[in-house]
Amino acid sequence: MIQLSNIEKVYRTKTIETIALNKVNLGINKGEFVAIMGPSGCGKSTLLNIMGLLDSPTAGTISLDGQAVTSFGDKKLANFRNKKLGFIFQSYHLINDLSVLDNVELPLLYRDGVSGSERRKRAMEALEKVGLSARMKHYPNQLSGGQRQRVAIARAIIGDPEIILADEPTGNLDSVMGEEVINILLNLNKTDGTTIVMVTHDEHMANKTQRIIRFFDGQQVN
Amino acid sequence: MMKNYIKIAFKVMLRKKYYTALSLIGISFTIMMVTVFASFIDSVIGANATEVNRNRTLIFDKVSMYKAGKETASAPSYPFIEKYVAGLESTEYVSAFTDISYVSDVNGRLQGHHLKLTDENFWKIMTFDFLEGKPFHQTEVKTGARVAVITEKAKEYFFNDQQAVGKSIAVYGNSYKVIGVVEPAVGYSKAYADIYLPLTTDTSVYSKPNEISGSYCAMLLAKTSDLKKVRTELRGRMRKIRNHVSGVDSVKAYAFTALEQFSKSSSFRDDEPEYGKTAIALIVVLILFMLIPAISLINLNLSRIGERAEEIGIRKSFGATSRAVINQLVIENIIITLVGGLVGLGLAIYASQLLVVVINSFDPLFKIPEGSLILSWRVFASSLFSCLLFGLLSGVYPAWKISRLNVIKALRGGNNL
Repeated sequence: MIQLSNIEKVYRTKTIETIALNKVNLGINKGEFVAIMGPSGCGKSTLLNIMGLLDSPTAGTISLDGQAVTSFGDKKLANFRNKKLGFIFQSYHLINDLSVLDNVELPLLYRDGVSGSERRKRAMEALEKVGLSARMKHYPNQLSGGQRQRVAIARAIIGDPEIILADEPTGNLDSVMGEEVINILLNLNKTDGTTIVMVTHDEHMANKTQRIIRFFDGQQVN
Repeated sequence: MMKNYIKIAFKVMLRKKYYTALSLIGISFTIMMVTVFASFIDSVIGANATEVNRNRTLIFDKVSMYKAGKETASAPSYPFIEKYVAGLESTEYVSAFTDISYVSDVNGRLQGHHLKLTDENFWKIMTFDFLEGKPFHQTEVKTGARVAVITEKAKEYFFNDQQAVGKSIAVYGNSYKVIGVVEPAVGYSKAYADIYLPLTTDTSVYSKPNEISGSYCAMLLAKTSDLKKVRTELRGRMRKIRNHVSGVDSVKAYAFTALEQFSKSSSFRDDEPEYGKTAIALIVVLILFMLIPAISLINLNLSRIGERAEEIGIRKSFGATSRAVINQLVIENIIITLVGGLVGLGLAIYASQLLVVVINSFDPLFKIPEGSLILSWRVFASSLFSCLLFGLLSGVYPAWKISRLNVIKALRGGNNL
């Protein structure tokens, strides 16, 4: 499902060169739930951003769902992100000016041929799945952290993506809320067969996934 | 999608009250200025209810006489118009007129009046709305009948708004019988006056029958929009003058529409007008008029949009293309500009009335009508178009800039522009 070959990411300034990822070769199968672990600054989030086509590698190739995406232009990348990928961020990244329902609808806004009523219906279904249908008219700043992350999950799944990329989805939550969120993800993986790649610091959460990939200094260590 | 854009545009406007207020003030004042300026230009050159045929009405208001290479220019005399300009085949009507002023005293109330001495064709070229009576005809002009057509404003002054037709007014010691009352024409047009009299009531009109120069103008209503034909015919007639009028080697007649007079490059040529320099200067002034506030607004928008980097990052993460981001931000900007523009149009109505009050305060005796700068649909449409242009001009660059931002950088938030 996800194939990374010889991925390198180097950040260069005038005086310093930082290697964030060093020749990473990694494959993730369809339907897998994988956790990526490692100390801060080891390149986990950079790797996830490259997998999610939010950032480009300095060298190496990425293949997602059988397609070599490294050379995609803006339009193709956007289309790929819209249809195949769903993101969950540690700090939720919800648009505060939009209601919960409008936030969840967002990915379908950029998908051709989806009517307003269809968007609304699917957003309500996604909110139902994460147990937040009662809050659809609320705004993000009226919700707790756990609720916001559930809204973010609803937004990530509304477009039926094949891959969900979660960057420390429980990082800002207490253990109870964190548990709720990981259970939703586990359920998505189990029932819908969605491939999930989750970056986490939490060993307990990571142990619930099928595979743990460990990183250190920009390299895979296991 | 549009609903989402509109929704967020208003949310952002309400959330960023300082930026919104600053933007709206800038936009509304710019649009107000543009509208008042356009309204003035429109009253000078545009067609209006009285001058529906303005685009094919040529004003002949200048003759140049050449003798031994020396030029003397002036307005033409009435006999000259009657003899050499009236009856051009390419024209439907030719009307002569002159404007003079008169101060009357009714019951101790001093009032200045714009008088127009004209002929019967004036009423055929213009489409006045008669509230009472009728215009003067050929017989009255031929016989020099002391009749008058007055405006509603003059009627109010002379007759306290009572019926005027059949009653008399005194102008320069002579009594004129009112035969018609009209709605006033636009303040800055050739149709405008308070009192219209047959030009033959001016006893000096034929005093020098062979004089070319005088104090009259002529309006030439062309049969078709081919104004070149009229000017060619007029030039042909002027060439013949050499044989008829002694003392001049050649004569040039200048006949142009109000728009041509306003925008042509040179006032010393009697051939087809060239719009080059004046039109370019006018366009440059208008662009600067819009560009300077647009640049300020671009700066304001760079700050306003820059603070929305996170939102743009989110949208791009979930499938928005750079073009979709640009479209959204430009549409939002157009919405804000239209709101500001509508406020500006409202302000322009008041500002144009205020301008009339200010103009009238300089010359309280000769006041122009209060409705002299009323916004026409043309001005309204061009102002709305200006709003759109303004929105586009000030929105495209900041939108383009943020659309190119790296998604990860954008998601980190903060002002990244």
